Amino acid sequence: MAEAVKAIQPGISSTAAVASPEIHHDTTVKWFLLGAVGYFAIVGIIALIIAAKFVWPQFLGTIPYFTYGRMRPLHVNGMLFGWLLAADMGLAYYIVPRLCGVKLWSEKLGIATSILWNIIILSAIVTLLGGYQKGLEYADLPTPVAVLVVIAWVMFGVNIFATIATRKYNQMYVSTWYLMGTILWTAFVYLTGNFATLLPGITGVNQANLTWMYTHNAVGLIFTPAGLAVAYYFIPRASNTPLFSHKLSMVGFWSLAFVYVWTGAHHMIHGPISQWLQTISIVFSIMLLIPVWAVVYNFIATMKGEWHQLSDNVSLKFLMSGTVFYLLTCFQGPMHSLRSVNAIVSKTDWIPGHAHMAVLGTFSFIAMAGVYYVIPRVFKTTLHSEAAANWSFWLFLVGGLGMFTALWLGGFWQGWQWNNPSIPFIDTVVALKPVWMVRFFSGILIFSGIVLFLYNIWSTALGSGKAQAEPVRS
Amino acid sequence: MTDFTYPSVYFSYFLFVLLAGGAVFFFVRSLKDGYLGPNSEEPKYRMLKDDPDDVETQPTGAGAPRRP
Ligand code: HEM
Repeated sequence: MAEAVKAIQPGISSTAAVASPEIHHDTTVKWFLLGAVGYFAIVGIIALIIAAKFVWPQFLGTIPYFTYGRMRPLHVNGMLFGWLLAADMGLAYYIVPRLCGVKLWSEKLGIATSILWNIIILSAIVTLLGGYQKGLEYADLPTPVAVLVVIAWVMFGVNIFATIATRKYNQMYVSTWYLMGTILWTAFVYLTGNFATLLPGITGVNQANLTWMYTHNAVGLIFTPAGLAVAYYFIPRASNTPLFSHKLSMVGFWSLAFVYVWTGAHHMIHGPISQWLQTISIVFSIMLLIPVWAVVYNFIATMKGEWHQLSDNVSLKFLMSGTVFYLLTCFQGPMHSLRSVNAIVSKTDWIPGHAHMAVLGTFSFIAMAGVYYVIPRVFKTTLHSEAAANWSFWLFLVGGLGMFTALWLGGFWQGWQWNNPSIPFIDTVVALKPVWMVRFFSGILIFSGIVLFLYNIWSTALGSGKAQAEPVRS
Repeated sequence: MTDFTYPSVYFSYFLFVLLAGGAVFFFVRSLKDGYLGPNSEEPKYRMLKDDPDDVETQPTGAGAPRRP
């Protein structure tokens, strides 16, 4: 491999580009990732409870802490901030120092950020279960907790940018660009969704408009760039194959930067907002196909001739399935932004089907690939069980596919029914029970995958030191 | 007909302009730094060898950097 690299890029010697040995302490990485995996499992239980409530509405019904109105925001915020964002942050603390060839700027600041992040998630659990919430989707956290999120994000941003500022190499790899984008965009997006929506005069449809701008950009400008940064790093690393085209990756990055922010109003199509605002969001939603295609083509072309590696490489399995789900999600998105399709699927179960393919099928798969790759390395050991890792992959894949397809089909059918005024609304609710049943049982498969993932990762961490892995030096 | 959505629309578009302006600025800088130029493929080779502490983590060797 090293020879091949030298042959193509004669300017790079096999050691010149490598930082000096043992420079990475990775304490922050360990804290963030082990915490994220723990929250994944805890919030997985909440997911099963809310999925069960769709099928058996009386389940835990009279206990206030377990009512749907409290548990749904806990599931959504717990998964998004406790698991996914925390995992992406932990992976960023791993990726950025390595790509820059230097130590993390401040390990102490990293650990402090991780402690604060845990305080935030625990406060979120207590406040949301206690019924204290803003009632704004993805921005449900009470304002004092949201302020803590802002402080933690500034601490994270300072550490990552300061590390990048001390980098050894001038040209940055595309993951670094995406992570810098994530940090800056999150600042704007989070402040809009959590604080601008509360300004005087921002009520009613104005508040809804800003909230949807936030909600969509939370996925598009927080979880998408963070997830893509992780995928751009781990696909080449896990397959030990150079990325197909760095230039194309930059095209993808810049087109995402220009296009994504304009799409939020597609959640309000046929709603009480200006037609021109709807049209702009539709046009930009379709233009999203450009960055998506640039990313997916690059990932698939990188794997050309290397697909056989999937058979014994669990990280790659997660990464490439995540890529396929990304393509499907981002094909669905522009399509259901069209007024005609939107008239059927909007506000139906199709939407959680689409949302889960994005945050679970795409970005959680990519984050899990990163965690499976990183945890043995930072603990300098071997993965506790490759068989369990494989099982977790299949459970996630089968459970995920069951859940997504049931919700798409069910959602589409629900939309047709809603468009027929002669069908009483309650009949459309009763009709969807089998779909929710499939989601519940698929959820059990997914949750079993989460438990295996937790067991494997924590056992690898706790058993570290017993099976010392061999260092690989070139 | 009065459009009551203007406060949020003004705010959104102010944000869009800010973000689009930032994107243009950094895009032009990245062009100057040669990101779409002849040497733009270099980072993808460098990143494959960016970790001197790397260890072999799977008994099968899958996913670990291959020994040269
Ligand atoms: C055990 C697996 C899971 C099950 C059974 C499950 C179940 C559910 C249910 C029942 C809802 C409410 C849907 C509605 O209101 O109609 C929901 C919403 C949501 N879940 Fe999950 N979930 C799971 C995993 C995840 C994961 C891993 C993530 C993110 C990393 C996630 C993120 C979300 C989000 C963002 C929403 C809101 C979707 C929307 O606004 O349309 N879920 N989930």
